[in-house]
Amino acid sequence: MRGALRTKPHMERKIIRELEKLLGRDAVLSSREDLLMYEYDGSVEEAKPDCAVFPRTTAEVVSIVKLATRHGVPIVGRGAGTGLSGGALAVQGGVIVVFSRMNRILEIDAENMRAVVQPGVVNLDVTRAVEHLGLYYAPDPSSQKSCTIGGNVSENAGGPHTLANGVTTNHVTGLELVLMSGEVVRVGGRTCETPGYDLTGLMVGSEGTLAIVTEITLRLSRKPEAVKTLLAVYNDVADAPETVADMTGRAITPAACEMLDGWTLRAVEAFVHAGFPLDSGAVLLIEVEGLAEAVEEQAAVIAEICKAHNAREVRVARDAAERELLWKGRKNAFGAVGRFSPSYYVQDAVIPRTKLPETLRRIEEIGKKYKFQIGNIFHAGDGNLHPIILFDQRDPEQFKRAVEASGEIMRHCIDAGGALTGEHGVGMEKNELMPLMFSNADLDLMQRVRAAFNPDGMLNPGKVLPIGKGCKEVRIPPQGAAAYPTL
Amino acid sequence: MTSTFSSSNSSASSAQRASDGRASLAARIAEKFGAANVIADAAPLAAYEVDGMQPAAAVKVGSGAEIAELLQFASAEKLAVIPSGGRTKLGIGAPPARYDVALDVSRMNKVLAYEPRDLTLGLEPGVRIAELWGVLACEKQWLPLIAPFAERATIGGVLATDSASPLRHAYGGPRDFTLGMEFVTGYGAAAKSGGRVVKNVSGYDMHKLLIGSLGTLAVITRANFKTFPFPPARDVFVAHFENSVAAMEFCHAVQRSALEPRLVEVISPEAAKLISAGANAPLPLSSNGWSVALGVAAHERVVERHARELAALATQTKASNFVRLGGEDQSEILNPICAFPTHVLAADPGAAIFRIAALPGVMAALAERLAAVAAGVQLEHATVLRPHGLLFFAVMNPPAAAPDAARLARAAQEIFRAAEDLGAKARIEWAPTELKRAVNVWGEARPDFQLMRRVKQIFDPENILSPGRFAGGI
Repeated sequence: MRGALRTKPHMERKIIRELEKLLGRDAVLSSREDLLMYEYDGSVEEAKPDCAVFPRTTAEVVSIVKLATRHGVPIVGRGAGTGLSGGALAVQGGVIVVFSRMNRILEIDAENMRAVVQPGVVNLDVTRAVEHLGLYYAPDPSSQKSCTIGGNVSENAGGPHTLANGVTTNHVTGLELVLMSGEVVRVGGRTCETPGYDLTGLMVGSEGTLAIVTEITLRLSRKPEAVKTLLAVYNDVADAPETVADMTGRAITPAACEMLDGWTLRAVEAFVHAGFPLDSGAVLLIEVEGLAEAVEEQAAVIAEICKAHNAREVRVARDAAERELLWKGRKNAFGAVGRFSPSYYVQDAVIPRTKLPETLRRIEEIGKKYKFQIGNIFHAGDGNLHPIILFDQRDPEQFKRAVEASGEIMRHCIDAGGALTGEHGVGMEKNELMPLMFSNADLDLMQRVRAAFNPDGMLNPGKVLPIGKGCKEVRIPPQGAAAYPTL
Repeated sequence: MTSTFSSSNSSASSAQRASDGRASLAARIAEKFGAANVIADAAPLAAYEVDGMQPAAAVKVGSGAEIAELLQFASAEKLAVIPSGGRTKLGIGAPPARYDVALDVSRMNKVLAYEPRDLTLGLEPGVRIAELWGVLACEKQWLPLIAPFAERATIGGVLATDSASPLRHAYGGPRDFTLGMEFVTGYGAAAKSGGRVVKNVSGYDMHKLLIGSLGTLAVITRANFKTFPFPPARDVFVAHFENSVAAMEFCHAVQRSALEPRLVEVISPEAAKLISAGANAPLPLSSNGWSVALGVAAHERVVERHARELAALATQTKASNFVRLGGEDQSEILNPICAFPTHVLAADPGAAIFRIAALPGVMAALAERLAAVAAGVQLEHATVLRPHGLLFFAVMNPPAAAPDAARLARAAQEIFRAAEDLGAKARIEWAPTELKRAVNVWGEARPDFQLMRRVKQIFDPENILSPGRFAGGI
């Protein structure tokens, strides 16, 4: 839908032929039909690339980067295309570098709890490869059966269990990078720290705008001894967030704490049959994990807190199968919602968790104002909301209203002291909203950081930072330059 | 003779000019920033000394706006500025290339926001760690930072030095629970990154660069944290072993079990002697074998289970002693262990302390090899290691022997080599200036240093912030 913003000319045919020569014809797609699926990701955005390439090695990535740089062609990295902010779309056309052939787990070091993987490895495959050793990879985005580690690193992906375990950046210790100059540099490593600036921390979550990641060293975690999953059922949606705030007050940090409102849980139940009561106003899906004694104790206290906040029922999953079914309900929610509307717009915003009740009321008002059904499913434990606006993308007027409604939700969240995105990234969806959260000086500095790594702006252009005034490309003066860099 | 005379005369006059220049700089700074908050006399300025260098003036700033003004002034005048808080860790890093102004943030010591129900906290950089505990304890919360020099150390300094907390294994380090920062860049722009909520991926995580940057990129004016509920029960257990291999075997057994100790400190007999000498009360550490201290913080039943199972694992791995301290004794042992650098430097101000990140699997081998290096050059040594991946190794001059910088430098080179051979990453955290001038405290140059220099150029294009103290000559 935003492809109209493209300002770069289409790639010349000879560049595609050069790519075919470098990588082989089976590693380059350039026909209109072949590229169709690379025009989309999990967001409502779309943009047409000029070609898609499928490197097998870091050396091939280097050759792609050098060729693209020589011709001034944009480059965009892409994992499985499940992102929700347009991060993997070629908004200015150019080459999409798809990592599906760089999908090997290079090493598992169980003793030191590390795995070295290529960017195209699917998130859940890491856990599958190490679970026999009693280990797992903690970040668990809902799309973990298909999303890739490379994409997770770019977006600093989260997931329901990041409440206790942290997001991607907390589980990455080192990266191999291909810079826009074509150099290959390693930052961080396997050890828990590396002397010098935390470049790994800067790269994770930079949405593929600073360098291309070709290898990732992950920290693995030990599987907890015990897990308990509780489903608390409420008649009144307002009681669920009160429960969450109270849990914190009682020194309990569950491994996950998810909320579905009445409309959403009914949509999910019709699709997944997870056992969510159809007549309820909201459910909380809470998981505790750790040592058996701790889990038992915490589950008992949580049940008590839920009841104190008018939960009409607190159900504990009896076995792994029941637990999995409850989670299936949560993780397939977006798909379930898709059955009710031609399009849906999943939002991602964060608020201080004590502001949950008033924010839910505000979202309802915004839904009424713009005449949309807005479902609410979110990571209640960390205040990470995912309001889902149901609309019809084929109707431009509805699309415009959906974007406006979304903007109003975002503004409310920022005013409440929150953040633009908790785990989906800024991408091309929210780059123009960045000034809501950041000053010109903040954005100026981010722009300078980007220019230091991506001087021509050809690496994933049109993402993260606003394209408008004050954020055109900045050239960095040579070391020791007398004047400050100016815009 | 004549030339000697005229040369010394000329150097005396150039020293005089330099001294006049510094006095006039101090006067200009006092005029600009108010005499009340500017220190220009030599005696109090000694407190701001870094590696034997004294600034011309120290400015006790009161706000981000003042910091911006000072850094804009310093950028225009090309004055080197070193930020400080409690001044407990100014000795960390390479000797500065230049030093004109000390930027003291200790007056900026307010808790700006604390929302216990949201588990969020916003602090000015000068908040002292020890005072912070009082604030958080009222709400039964805490930040999992046990920092050396906690009485004087400030949160800004702990972040700028990435002070290694023994709790990092369980809770992560500052990079894991810092939500965002506000700061002033070297070119004097107030900027921020991250946010104030517990989850956020909006924009580049520039604040992560500031953690451990030794004040070379920006001056922190506010840091936002995720706080943690304080566990209801806690205890400390200590097991004694004949040697480092046996101690590490016990640690690996604990790591393979379901148990979840919140901190594990492995202490060599030499380190135990230093720590015990510096503590107020007798400590249950072995002076002829290796000790493992484990801290547990959880529900009571979980603590009890640790007591049972740790004792069993200690027996299995042939511990010579296993002690349960009881909850109240926790700080009495943990604080002295954490203050290991203080005890080393008290015993030998000429000592060097290495901070080495290593994989758990090589820890025992590394500890042995380092001890052999020190013994090979007849230097004393002491080790405190955290089996999840960090080792502190002190090399000291023998008692009654004159400090021998050349010998220390030789040992340092070998220690760097030993670490590299085992895939570990070493740096010297504490050392006498003489050694720091002879040996690069950051170790050998690495390819990623060029990226770090690019980052430095963005944040501090005039190279005025802590010049020369950081890795890669930054």
